[in-house]
Amino acid sequence: MRLVKLIPAVFFYAFLQVALRRDDDADLIRRLKAHEPKAMADLYRRCGRLAYSVILRVVRNVGVAEDLTQETFLRIWNRVGSFEAERGALTPWVLAVARNRAIDHVRSQDGRLEASSVDLERLERPGLFMDLESRAMTIDRARRVKVALEKLNANQRTVIELAYYEGMSHTEMAERLKQPLGTVKTWMRTALQILRSELREAAIA
Amino acid sequence: MTCEELRDLYELYALGVLEAEDRAEIDAHLTRGCANCKQGLAAALALNAVIMSIGPAEAPSKKLRHRLLASIGYERPGWFWTGALTAALMLALAVWLGTQERERSNQLAEAREQLMQVTGERDNLNQAVRFLSDPETRPTSFGRGQQAPPRGYVFLHPQLGVMLIASNLPAAGTGKTYEMWVIPKGGSPRPAGLFQSDGMRGLHILSGPIDLDALDAIAVTVEPLAGSAAPTTMPVITAPVGT
Repeated sequence: MRLVKLIPAVFFYAFLQVALRRDDDADLIRRLKAHEPKAMADLYRRCGRLAYSVILRVVRNVGVAEDLTQETFLRIWNRVGSFEAERGALTPWVLAVARNRAIDHVRSQDGRLEASSVDLERLERPGLFMDLESRAMTIDRARRVKVALEKLNANQRTVIELAYYEGMSHTEMAERLKQPLGTVKTWMRTALQILRSELREAAIA
Repeated sequence: MTCEELRDLYELYALGVLEAEDRAEIDAHLTRGCANCKQGLAAALALNAVIMSIGPAEAPSKKLRHRLLASIGYERPGWFWTGALTAALMLALAVWLGTQERERSNQLAEAREQLMQVTGERDNLNQAVRFLSDPETRPTSFGRGQQAPPRGYVFLHPQLGVMLIASNLPAAGTGKTYEMWVIPKGGSPRPAGLFQSDGMRGLHILSGPIDLDALDAIAVTVEPLAGSAAPTTMPVITAPVGT
């Protein structure tokens, strides 16, 4: 029975391994910049499931998630021109674009659009994803952060969930959870410190 | 605000969920090229990516890949290949079924023809046995003494009819057939059926009662495949049978 329980985890890490490869990033980015259609197929194979999973978690609708996934990859395709092959971190960029497309969609549904679309676009600029630590995303780091995330208390996990997958600010979280703003800020700060610390320790190890 | 005070906000800044005031602070640091904030933001983008990558993994439909690649002109839409493949399979199946059906029809027609031939030969043999075994049958020979003519016998029976067996009878030729004639005394030849020779022998039976006393001769001519109402060529066999 224990072995059976391990199967999803094995698949999860095997799948993540494909998505987090950095060695081929430079070559793939160069081919994407040259608009080689095969490069798009390779990018989708590497990041398609990850991007779709993030989007689906936000929008909770399969059809909408597929539309937004397509939009994400087309956005990457059209904006990869200013992405520097040697310095860029492709997977974090794809994930950020995917998550932002989904949050933007949810906000537009909720009437919370305001200036957020512009803000989110600003946070997807290829320039931001240059010079991320070369081993920013590794299997070991992902595993350790996953364990740390599972160890957070319920309040800490909730605020992480609301920020990452519902796009809420501190104030919006405080309203939703009916908690003082300071309390919510503390939960969030503590949770991020734990995760940040875990990521840092994994890097040192 | 100092970089130290901002360091817990980089992740939220990168997610676009920071309150306007805090966001403006970080923007200001980044705009003036603050190395600390730039480094902190890079680390925050990495942490955000890791957090988002460890959620539950879901698989999109296979159609999405086709749709995406079709939208940049790399692959035709999935339905195109599905349709094309289906059409090709249907066409191949139709051609195969057509060929099979044609072959089956030909084989069936051939078998039917062979069966009819065998059945006809069997009936003829049965008839011939009845003719030869019945004491009332009266045989008459023809062609004797002539130089390489068809030779043979005509067997007459008042109830069974007339049976003709000929040897040295060549094939009638393309588009031709042999036609037997019953010639009554003082009358015109009456058609008595068509038959073919296998190149050596010919057997033909006219079944049914016949008035032997009124009969003068049996003759055979070569006629068109459909037969004729009256002889159109000179007889190749003439067998006088009058008493």
